[in-house]
Amino acid sequence: MSEGNLLHNSRLAERAHRVRHNAITMAEVHGQGYVAQALGVADVLSVAYLHAMRIRPDQPEWEDRDRFLLSVGHYGIAHYAILTEAGYLPESELVTYGCDDSRLPMSGMASYTPGAEMSGGSIGLGLPMAVGMGLGLKRKKSSSFVYTLMGDGELAEGPTWEAAISASHYKLDNIIALVDFNKVQADGPSPTIMSTEPLVAKFEAFGFYVQRVDGNDLPALVKAFDNAREHPEPKPRIIICDTKMGCGVDFLEAREKNHFIRLEPDEWKRAYEALEARRPA
Amino acid sequence: MNTNVQEPTVKSSAPAPSMPAIIASSVDEGHRTKAAPFGHALVELGRTRPEIVGMSADLAKYTDIHIFAQAYPDRFYQMGMSEQLMATAAGGLAKEGFIPFATTYATFAARRCYDFISQGVAEQDANVKFVGGLPGLTTGYGPSHQATDDLAIFRAMPNITVIDPCDALDVEQMVTAVADHHGPVYMRMLRGAVPLVLDEYNYRFELGKAALLRGGRDVLVISTGFMTMRALDAAKDLQKDGVDVAVLHVPTVKPLDEVTILREAARTGRLVVVAENHTIVGGLGEAVAGCLLRGGVAPAFRQIALPDRFLSAGSLPVLQDRYGISRKAVIDRIKCWL
Repeated sequence: MSEGNLLHNSRLAERAHRVRHNAITMAEVHGQGYVAQALGVADVLSVAYLHAMRIRPDQPEWEDRDRFLLSVGHYGIAHYAILTEAGYLPESELVTYGCDDSRLPMSGMASYTPGAEMSGGSIGLGLPMAVGMGLGLKRKKSSSFVYTLMGDGELAEGPTWEAAISASHYKLDNIIALVDFNKVQADGPSPTIMSTEPLVAKFEAFGFYVQRVDGNDLPALVKAFDNAREHPEPKPRIIICDTKMGCGVDFLEAREKNHFIRLEPDEWKRAYEALEARRPA
Repeated sequence: MNTNVQEPTVKSSAPAPSMPAIIASSVDEGHRTKAAPFGHALVELGRTRPEIVGMSADLAKYTDIHIFAQAYPDRFYQMGMSEQLMATAAGGLAKEGFIPFATTYATFAARRCYDFISQGVAEQDANVKFVGGLPGLTTGYGPSHQATDDLAIFRAMPNITVIDPCDALDVEQMVTAVADHHGPVYMRMLRGAVPLVLDEYNYRFELGKAALLRGGRDVLVISTGFMTMRALDAAKDLQKDGVDVAVLHVPTVKPLDEVTILREAARTGRLVVVAENHTIVGGLGEAVAGCLLRGGVAPAFRQIALPDRFLSAGSLPVLQDRYGISRKAVIDRIKCWL
C-alpha cells in the first residue's frame, strides 16, 4: 500500500472513530437505542460518505451528487452520525436526536434531515426506490450512483428481490447496494430467524456484481467501493459487509442481545472510555 | 341498504350458463363510446411534457397505457408482475423529477401496494399518479379483480388525491389535471370502449370540485365514477314519472368538495342519495355522511353502493343488477325510497 493510501486510511479511521463517538452521544440522550448497529456500520458509512461518494454537504440537493438511500430507517442514529462527520449537520444538533421537533427522528425520514433522501423504516423500500432513481438518473444521462443501505434481516422482504430482478433486467450499473450483515435482527440471530445464505450466490444468480468484505476493515471497504464504482460490466453492484455489532466498544461487542441496547447512566462513561481505548493511533 | 340484493344459491351441479361470464364494460345500450381515452390522452399530453413517463406491472394492454408505450417506447417502464416494486420505483423516478403514470388493476394498487404507496410515495410527497383499472364492480372475475374497496383504502391515506371518472371525457381531462397538480394521485380508470356522456352537460373536470350536472326538486343524487352516468340515465327515466332528480357529480373523492355538497344538500325537501361503484364501507357515501353531520345538515339520506361482502363471479350486467348499481336498479331504488 502506498504512503498516500496509508495516510488516507488512517484519516478514515480517525473519522470513523468520530462517527462512533457521535452515535454514542445520540444514544446517551435517551439511554438506549440502536447504538450497536451504528457502531457496527460506522466503517461502511465512513467509506461511503468520506471516500466513495460524490457529495456537497453544503448543497444536499446538488443535482450531480451520488444518492444515498437509508432503507433501514432505524439506522437513523448511524446516518446522523456520518452526516454530522461529513458536514451536513452541526455537531451541536446530535443531542436533539429523537427529541420532539428534532430534525433527527429515531427512524430516518426524507423530509426531516438534510442529506436524507428517503423515508425508510418500513423495511424493504430501499432497493425498489433505488431502481426508480437508477432509471431516472439513466434517463437524465447522469453519472451519479445510487447507494442504498439494507440490513441482513431486510433480505427476507419480498420487494427487495423484485427490485433485484428489475435492477438486473434494466442493467442498472448505477446502483450500489450495501448490506450490513451483522447477523442480528429484532427476534434474534438472523441466521436462525430466516437464513438468507448463500447470499453471494443468490445475488450473483440475480445478475449482480457481488463482493463480500469484512465491514469493519477500512482498507478492504475502500477497495470494495472502488471496485463497485469501476466495475466494467453493466450490472447492479452489491457489497455485502460482514460487520460486528457494537464494534469499537468491547463490552457492547460482547453483549448477546444487542439489537436494541439500554445502558445505565454510568455505563455511558464506560462506553466513551472503551471507544477511546481503541482510538486509532 | 342493499336489501334487494339477491345472492346466488349454491347448486350441487353446474347451472346452465346464461351469458358469457366476462364482459369488462359498463356500457349500456344507447351510449356513445370512445376508445381507450386514458391511453390517447396520455400520448397527447406526452407530446409537450417530456417529464411524463409510463409504468405498468404486466398490465399495459389491459390499462390502455400500451398506447403510450407504443408512442414513446423509451419513456415506458415495464416492471413485470411486481406491483410493490412499481409503486416504490415510481417514487424514485418522481424524486428524479419525472412524473410517472403507473398503471395496474385497482385491486393490486390498493390492496397489494398500500404500504409502498403510503411510505414510498405519499409520505415523501412524490409526484406519482397511480392509475387503477377495473374499479369497483367492472369485471366478472370475482373478488381477486373486483376493486370494491379501493376508495376506502386510499381515502385513509394522507396526502393523496383520489379521483373516480364518470366517462371518457372525465378520463381525458383528469390526465391533464393530475399532471398539472403536484402530488400523489390515485385515479380510477375506465378502459376499452368507455361511455361518453358528460359532453352533453357543459362539464369540465376540475380537481377538487364537484359539478352540478342537472338540477331537480325531489331528489339530489351525489355520485362519483360511472354511477354519475347511471344517475343521469335514471334522472331521465324518472322525469317521465314526474320525479325531478338533481345530479351532483363528485369526481374528486378526496379532498371532498364539502362546500358544494353542503350547499346542495342544505336545500330542503330533497332526498339525498349517494351513489358509488364501491362498497358501502368507507367510500363516497360515508364521506358525504360525515360531511353533512359535521356541517349540521340532515336531509333524508340513502346510499347506493355495493354490499359489504365479496361479490360473485359472473357476467357484468347480471352482477351490476344483482348488487344494485345497474341503471334499472338505481331507478327501482329511488322510486322505492320516495
